[in-house]
Amino acid sequence: MERIPILKMGEFLLVTIQVDMHDRLALALQDDLTQRIVDTSARGVLIDISALDVVDSFIGRTLGNIAAMSRILDAETVVVGMRPAVAITLVELGLPLHGVRTALDVEKGMGLLRKAVAGRRPGDGYRAQ
Amino acid sequence: MSFKILTVSIQNEQDVVLARQRARELAALLGLERGDQTRLATAVSEIARNAYQYGGGGKAEFSLEGGAAPQLFLIRISDAGAGIANLEEVLAGRRRSGNGLGLGISGARRLVDQFEIRSSRSGTAVVLKKMLPPGSPLLRPERLMAMADELIRGRPADPYQEIQQQNQELLAALDELRQRQEELALLNSELEDTNRGVVALYAELDEKADHLRRADEIKSRFLSNMSHEFRTPLNSITALTGLLLGRSDGDLTPEQEKQVSLIRKGAQDLTELVNDLLDLAKVEAGKIVIRPAEFEVANLFGALRGMLRPLLINENLKLIFEEPQGIPPVYSDEGKVSQILRNFISNALKYTERGEVRVAAAFDAEKQVVTFRVSDTGIGIAREDQERIFQEFSQLDHPIQKKVKGTGLGLPLSRRLAELLGGSLRVESRPGVGSTFHAAIPVLYQPVEPMTPAAAVTLDESRLPVLVVEDNPETAFIYEKFLKGSPFQMLPVRTVREAHSVMKAVRPSAIVLDILLPGEDAWVFLAELKSDPNTSWIPVLVVTGVDDRRKVMALGADAYCIKPVERRWLVDQLTVFTNPDRRRILIVDDDEASRYLLRRALPGRLVIEAGGGREGLRLAVERQPQVIFLDLKLPDLSGFEVLEKLKEDPQTRDIPVIVVTSRVLEPQESRRLAAFAEAILSKQDLSPEAVSHALATPRREEGSQEAEGEQHD
Repeated sequence: MERIPILKMGEFLLVTIQVDMHDRLALALQDDLTQRIVDTSARGVLIDISALDVVDSFIGRTLGNIAAMSRILDAETVVVGMRPAVAITLVELGLPLHGVRTALDVEKGMGLLRKAVAGRRPGDGYRAQ
Repeated sequence: MSFKILTVSIQNEQDVVLARQRARELAALLGLERGDQTRLATAVSEIARNAYQYGGGGKAEFSLEGGAAPQLFLIRISDAGAGIANLEEVLAGRRRSGNGLGLGISGARRLVDQFEIRSSRSGTAVVLKKMLPPGSPLLRPERLMAMADELIRGRPADPYQEIQQQNQELLAALDELRQRQEELALLNSELEDTNRGVVALYAELDEKADHLRRADEIKSRFLSNMSHEFRTPLNSITALTGLLLGRSDGDLTPEQEKQVSLIRKGAQDLTELVNDLLDLAKVEAGKIVIRPAEFEVANLFGALRGMLRPLLINENLKLIFEEPQGIPPVYSDEGKVSQILRNFISNALKYTERGEVRVAAAFDAEKQVVTFRVSDTGIGIAREDQERIFQEFSQLDHPIQKKVKGTGLGLPLSRRLAELLGGSLRVESRPGVGSTFHAAIPVLYQPVEPMTPAAAVTLDESRLPVLVVEDNPETAFIYEKFLKGSPFQMLPVRTVREAHSVMKAVRPSAIVLDILLPGEDAWVFLAELKSDPNTSWIPVLVVTGVDDRRKVMALGADAYCIKPVERRWLVDQLTVFTNPDRRRILIVDDDEASRYLLRRALPGRLVIEAGGGREGLRLAVERQPQVIFLDLKLPDLSGFEVLEKLKEDPQTRDIPVIVVTSRVLEPQESRRLAAFAEAILSKQDLSPEAVSHALATPRREEGSQEAEGEQHD
């Protein structure tokens, strides 16, 4: 079965969704990503959806779930590159993606992640010692 | 008015993606702005997912509605699922859960201009409509068709999608492969079943074939037996009318002569029919003996010309024998070849009313085959009948057929004979034009079984066979000189072993034995010969360099001579020991005609007759005949019983018995008879020559007697 590739960049994981995902593929990404966070002790996840024309309720919900789960695993999630039409549609659909941090592009997203991680370092969030 | 653009079937998750992609692409092509493209695609995604997840799959139809601006982009997504139970709640968005679950329908509704939903127990259909932007050009069906084509033909843009697609194709191919494999396995097991059936059928066929073979054998035996039953009275009629016509019992009036001639003719015709039947039965029973000899085709044609001229009574018909050219001498059975050709020619003469019958021969040097050809200008044979004429008793339906008589056995018999000679027959014919029969006969007859040394010597019917056991070729040569021109035919062998093998095939009338044979014990051979009741009667002349007359005579030799032997002594001794004269003869036969014929064949001898087995036994004891002629079919005891009783009684044990029969004997019967009887005489030929020959050469094999029976024609 096909998979969405997950790249490791330092202490962050980088996911670039290039294809129009069907539901199972989205769920697989969710599983893979949480596993990789645990395996690599990643502190942040950056998901680039600039190639996506459509984000429907299921994919939107999956992105929300990924963000929530990462946070529990002590990793911040930033979704970058969302197209304006997609953003409009999500809102109209009634799915404003609460709890998901977003940025306009990858560079801004990385910056956001670094800041978030640096800010949290002393406290170390939920991670068990 | 609406134009269908395309339809996407929704059977899996990937199809949901495809449906929303098509929705977006079509929206772009129709001129909807980017935001609407995304809205529409998202709405389609929500509804299509529902159709897949809850409806078990369905389809999305894309069409354009309206003949004038503004046109509506219409998407209808339907499934055949169980329907939505709480549609009202869902539409009101009250079922919306915390993280967006259940907002599909209500969300989609917000994303399009018009939204219709119909749901029942037999399925759900959702129609989404979006108005084309004002000012966009009116789209005609042709343009829509082109759009659909473009979409369907369009290749995935990026390599990942390409791989994905190929992956899916691969998965589909693998799935198909698996299905094929299952089909194959199924087919295989089916084949195995069939195979088992075939094996069972095969066994059944084998059994059937065996039955058929047995039935065929029984048929042949029946035919052969019946034929002989017919032959006995027929032979009597022929022989008796022969006697009458020969005036041996006084003169006949012309009228009587005519009547007797007619009786004789009738009997002969009937005999011919029976003989044909018998020949056929014999070929089938494998009892026909091939006697190969070298002969010239020209001579064969000459003989045939003479023989068949009497059949040519129609002056509109010519019988032409072409002069054979460049044909080597043929080594085969001339009698059989002649029989085949006679059959062809007499058929041709029968079925040709005018024109000619032409007989020719050609030689094929490569195949070493002589092909005889008999062509006529007669009625011809239809193609469908050309194989049938070679079947027994088949005759064709034709006016001319009704005029001529025939048994319908000639061609089948000819074919069998040709096969026995290693050849074949075939026919070419056109109805109304004529027929040509071909007989291809190998120039050199190759017997199927290897010949024994004795069979290599052609037995001369008119001479008595004398087995000479002599290792010295010079002495053997001298014997041959001595016996040349005498009534004795020499069968030379060099060892006792050869002598044994010759005696299996031929019963010699006498044996000339040398005692000093290298590595062999001639003493033992002599003792065996004389102690075996089957051979004790054969006179043995010991001619040797060993001077031990007493031992030789004690072992049962009939005469003794120290080398060198003189011609006069040898011939005299052989004559004395094989002389059949001075014998009193008893005939045991209930058939008066047979007794009568036998008596006439034994002129000047003292003949006593018995009409039954018991009387015969009594006479044998009382009168002590030298020879007994015994019929196998008697009213009170069977011939076999009489024979056994004769051989049990010490008073009659040593009297030679000649069995007279009209049947072809079964092998076990022959063996049984061979143990006791000296000779077997066929009732078919009770001529003085045959009878005295039987007397002079006691203990001849049945086969050679039978051989005489084949010479009728």
